[in-house]
Amino acid sequence: MSKNRATSKSKPNAPEKWFSWVWLFKLATVLLVLGVVTLIYLDAQIRHRFEGHRWSLPAKVYARPLELYKGQQLAVGQLDYELTQLGYRFVQSATDTGQVQKTNQGMIIHSRGFRFTDGAEQGHLVEVILQKNKVTQLRQISGAAIASLRLEPQLVGGIYPSHNEDRELIQLNDLPNGFIETLLMVEDRDYYSHYGVSPWGIARAMWANIKAAAVVQGGSTLTQQLVKNFYLTDQQTLWRKLIEAPMALLLNVHYSKEEVLEVYLNEVFLGQAGKRAIHGFGLASRFYFGQPLNEIKLHQVALLVGLVKGPSYYNPHRHPQRATKRRNLVLSVLAQQGVISDVQKTQYQALPLDLSKAKQVSRYPAYMDVVRRQLQQHYPASALSNQGLRIFTSLDPWVQHQAHIAMVEQIDALNQRHGKIPTLEGAIVVSHRGSGELLALVGDHDGGYAGHNWALDTSRQVGSLLKSVIHLAALESGQYNLATLINDESIALPQPDGSVWQPQNYDRRSHGKVPMYKALTKSYNQANVRLGLQVGLEKVLQQLSEMGIEQSIPAYPSVLLGAVEISPMQVNQIYQTIAGNGFYSPLSIVRQVTKANGQLLSIFPLIVRQAASNDAVYLLQHEMRLVANEGTARGVYRFLPKQQKVAAKTGTTNDQRDSWFAGFSGQHVATVWLGREDLKPTPLTGASGALNVWGQLMQHLSYTSYEDIKPETVGYYYVNRATGVVIPNGCPDGIDLPMVNATAPPINTNCGY
Amino acid sequence: MNSMKITLFKYMSLCLSVVFLGACAGPGYGPIVEDLSVQARASQRIPLATNNVLGNETNPSATDTQPRKPVELEKPKPYVVPKAKVTITPQSSPSKVVVAPTEKNIEVVIKQEEALPPSDQAVVEQLLSNADSLKGQGKMAEAVIQLQRAQRIAPREPKVYARLSALQLSLGEAARAEQLALKGLTLVPNKKRYQYYFWKLIAASRSHLGNSKGEAEAIIQADKYK
Repeated sequence: MSKNRATSKSKPNAPEKWFSWVWLFKLATVLLVLGVVTLIYLDAQIRHRFEGHRWSLPAKVYARPLELYKGQQLAVGQLDYELTQLGYRFVQSATDTGQVQKTNQGMIIHSRGFRFTDGAEQGHLVEVILQKNKVTQLRQISGAAIASLRLEPQLVGGIYPSHNEDRELIQLNDLPNGFIETLLMVEDRDYYSHYGVSPWGIARAMWANIKAAAVVQGGSTLTQQLVKNFYLTDQQTLWRKLIEAPMALLLNVHYSKEEVLEVYLNEVFLGQAGKRAIHGFGLASRFYFGQPLNEIKLHQVALLVGLVKGPSYYNPHRHPQRATKRRNLVLSVLAQQGVISDVQKTQYQALPLDLSKAKQVSRYPAYMDVVRRQLQQHYPASALSNQGLRIFTSLDPWVQHQAHIAMVEQIDALNQRHGKIPTLEGAIVVSHRGSGELLALVGDHDGGYAGHNWALDTSRQVGSLLKSVIHLAALESGQYNLATLINDESIALPQPDGSVWQPQNYDRRSHGKVPMYKALTKSYNQANVRLGLQVGLEKVLQQLSEMGIEQSIPAYPSVLLGAVEISPMQVNQIYQTIAGNGFYSPLSIVRQVTKANGQLLSIFPLIVRQAASNDAVYLLQHEMRLVANEGTARGVYRFLPKQQKVAAKTGTTNDQRDSWFAGFSGQHVATVWLGREDLKPTPLTGASGALNVWGQLMQHLSYTSYEDIKPETVGYYYVNRATGVVIPNGCPDGIDLPMVNATAPPINTNCGY
Repeated sequence: MNSMKITLFKYMSLCLSVVFLGACAGPGYGPIVEDLSVQARASQRIPLATNNVLGNETNPSATDTQPRKPVELEKPKPYVVPKAKVTITPQSSPSKVVVAPTEKNIEVVIKQEEALPPSDQAVVEQLLSNADSLKGQGKMAEAVIQLQRAQRIAPREPKVYARLSALQLSLGEAARAEQLALKGLTLVPNKKRYQYYFWKLIAASRSHLGNSKGEAEAIIQADKYK
């Protein structure tokens, strides 16, 4: 204090200076330090973002590739659909890759080729000759015959790293003609000569925009746009605007023009599809045109480049006129700058937008759910989402498409017929009969993803579907044949809690002694409970577990009538085993996993395990064919031609709370479930609800006639329908039934009466 | 001058701490699985795997100790996925799958396969021959892939099962080989050459598994079709 007084005393009347060079120097030093520190921070940030986006690759999940070969039977409309979904263009003359030309006899396909795990499939120019949707000939246009043509697999989904964005990575050497010129002409003319920021570019752009009275040129460089794209999800704060320029300069210092350009091409925001952000020209080309970037033509290139300025404003789906105007403007700029001639400009401007005709609403959520679950059991999260793994699944896009349509349309029809059934849900599981691969999955009533996968995560009582397992156990024991008489009288079973269980038939009647096959075709409850108890409840449950049901099931008699909760996926597993001639093959979804460079990481091999003897399964399959021909599932022939052989079983639970249908054709095994989410009764039985969905689905899948392979130990016997006795061929009221020769009963010459 | 230094120091430390805090802030990471469907009811969508677990980077095939549960509406019953798979661990040298020492009878069996009739589809023959050459190059996994393609195209073609079974046997997977041969048998009633061949495969597999009783039974069966 005394010092101050001393100072003020020594300098009287001197004004206090508010400005001093010293003070300025202090400020400048502080600002300089601040500036340097900020620059270091920005430097670290931009490099982190640049490298992060450059090196993290999402995993790609693929459907099965369509393989064309001589003798293959396709479904009506299948080839057209699959080619359209893959982005192939139908043209007059298939001169370029990705084009298809229809001919009198079939098609000429200019295929794209693909790097499969077992070797690269080259692109071919192939003629496919079809007769009633069957491939009768396959040959290259050059003349050489080829055994098969594998089209590239459809990309059905991905597993993304944290920034939750999809990419289809493109490289600088894989761009269509005129792409770079178009991009630079419109967005950044001095790209190769500026330092990240271009004041001259800004000035020129302003002038050009004033002259044209429109936003013709962009003032920020590609480098600056890239920086902005890194922060697109954050708010555009003042801070962000300030650091954009220095960060652009820093980027330019650290990385070459080529490197920055390549990342830019893969980062720039070009559209929004619901929750999904479209980043990068590769993905944008797929999204808008359904084609790989290197395949599109200049008018399409012009559209994509035009989108950079405003992907939502110029969205070609929502605002086609605006998009066309913008595209034509880009083409004009190209003509002005001499990249194309005026004649070319006019030609291109006359073309339509040429967007993809593929249905954008392809539904795979339930399927992707299972893929994710299967993969997460074998791969850690980071490996899944960052290393660009390629995951090849068995999804069949055509089957999935038909399953989805069948569910939606048939539920609609049921609601019309019965009045809206509240909270009605459904599930469909389809697998390949031969290999047990999962072809399609529908997880709810409209194929959308409401957060619950009814195919997998809900177990419902299966009702009569269990009867097939009872019959299999009976046939396995060797003590029953398809004609063995079973008593369909009422049965009363005292329960441990003192109550009496008295199951009733659906029609509330008893039918006396019936041949075993009839107990299944008519789905008689009483006869089947008696049969199950005679065979032994433990044996039935043992058989069930052999067929792939791993859960432990308490041995109550009511289990025989399906009072046991099983998911549609597991039900399909049971019927897959029956269809597989008694060999259990686990339902599988992933075929192979490779690295981004194609190196094989895992394969999932075909596993078979015998769960029932060949004889017994052959007999059961015949029984199930009868269920479809003359039993509770015969409604299926409203949908299918009479000569198409299918084996099936309907299932209805108490009070009709669940409607089930499970069965198989020569190629496909499918299970359908319908039921109310609130577990209340429905107006549906298996035959009046799930059957319709199953029937419509099967109607649209490819079908080849086939013969079941009869074991040597089995022969066919003519049997009296009512009494089950083997009779001579001349007798009336008979049915041909297969039986194991060794235990077949002798012939009764009285025609069985 | 001291007061100026103190002020400067205060400013610098303030700036540095601001910068430090800013640099530490960063987004959380976790894999997002998304399908390519347009979400009709996006607002009802429950996020899928949101667990933020950075697993082991070493072997992508290592099974996790804890199954990761997605966030769901109800407690799900997990889908039991088949455990069976062949993992090719990435190696620096060209991938060589270790082949179990082939026993003499296995080699004999595999040679007998040459006597089987050709399949009746050109594409299947092509795939079988591809598998052969890949097998010759030691690319076992790729050979299996070819055979499985053939099996999907022609699931009733016994020759495919014959090859698959023989291949699995030569890889030391005798249990798989036995089952594949058993399945093959169901496809060839009255076809003596195939029946003989499959029973020989079954005998060789059972021998490999140490099931001498089963092996004896299989040999008896094979002799019926000689």
